Amino acid sequence: MNNYSIWVMEYAHVPNYHLSGLIYGAHNQGYRRLPYCYIAIKGQGRVAMVDVGYNHQAYGEVLANTYGVRNWHPPREVLAECGLTPEDVSSIFITHAHFDHMGNIEDFPNATFYIQERELSKWVWTMSLERRFRWLLLGIDPGDILRAVDLARQGRLVCVNGDREDVLPGIDLHAAFDTHTWGSMWVTVRAHDTWVFCGDLAYTMENLRGEDSGDPQYVPVGLATGSQFNLIMASEAMVKAARGDVTRVIPVHEDRLKDMYPSRVTSADLRITELALAEGEPSRVR
Amino acid sequence: MNSQRIDDATAGYILETRKCFEDLRQVAAQIAGVLVLAAAGGKSATPDHPMLQAAAELHRAAFDQLRSARPTGRAREHHHRLTQAAHALSDALAAALSPARRMEIDPILLPVRAAYAHLQRAADTLPGFEMVAFEQGCCAIQPAL
Repeated sequence: MNNYSIWVMEYAHVPNYHLSGLIYGAHNQGYRRLPYCYIAIKGQGRVAMVDVGYNHQAYGEVLANTYGVRNWHPPREVLAECGLTPEDVSSIFITHAHFDHMGNIEDFPNATFYIQERELSKWVWTMSLERRFRWLLLGIDPGDILRAVDLARQGRLVCVNGDREDVLPGIDLHAAFDTHTWGSMWVTVRAHDTWVFCGDLAYTMENLRGEDSGDPQYVPVGLATGSQFNLIMASEAMVKAARGDVTRVIPVHEDRLKDMYPSRVTSADLRITELALAEGEPSRVR
Repeated sequence: MNSQRIDDATAGYILETRKCFEDLRQVAAQIAGVLVLAAAGGKSATPDHPMLQAAAELHRAAFDQLRSARPTGRAREHHHRLTQAAHALSDALAAALSPARRMEIDPILLPVRAAYAHLQRAADTLPGFEMVAFEQGCCAIQPAL
């Protein structure tokens, strides 16, 4: 029996993203639709999320006009598709500190945020480096740091040091240091199945099984602050946590989740994918 | 972002001040980084934290550069915003580096927030200035096709 209902909720997308950004070495192999999503987890009397999306007020125009991001919608509108509000959310697990995963923390006034301490400390350390190291700061928003100050003062920022079991009943946090970022984190939800939410440790299924599912291999994502080796070993750990079932490892930028799980497209043209339903919870996609 | 046609003189101003903008953005981030440590109870968040010294040096260089910039009429608002941001960061640094007291967050955080807002407004007035380095990052970080 599932203790939690789990949905992958799209909040924006890029119509054509180059495949080489998603899969290491996939140069000149075309483009793919890239959804931006976060995960909503409801059950045991609480609502949690994995990541929160980006701050449209600050960056929406730049991202839309320059980088081709389309159809951003706020969490209030997106979560409503599953009968939730931002105020309902009490715990949020930030997989890493990039703007499109952490940038919308202000929209969740009642949530406690969990992030790896190393993600913050190395982030701060990187800022002390000289200008020629600025590549290491890509995707980091100084505004998010200011917002993190407020969270910390309010006692709503929990710095996790490594793995943590049962941060909520049946929900575990796992560190993947020096991979996509300094202190990336993946999340497991142990229900009838074990679900793995990998942040950007995998963008797409090819990162987890290669091109040939009959002869799988790990192929890292196109961007690593840490190492490709560490990304591959993190992939192995995630697949093992999913008991070898790669389809239980959920990359939120994978557009083909709709082929694997029930889903629907909302009136705002956003896809909601339903991974699990707790007892008594009505389907939000049928 | 304002992408109206840019004359040559304004384009020169943009090139001249881009580094200054990025440096001020970095100073804001550096001070905020120490504030995160302070707010989270980190013992290293003291006025003699090396990052504050680095921020002060970078700020000094950026301010010098800003003073020598020659804004066109089109760039006047941008220059004004950068100047306001630099002044706000001066206030934040003065508070952060003050040896007379234990690091208090509000006297530092408020001017950093103001500086961040000025930088955001500056980025809105001319093309070529962004608060986040999107260009090589993950996910949607490639120019539109």
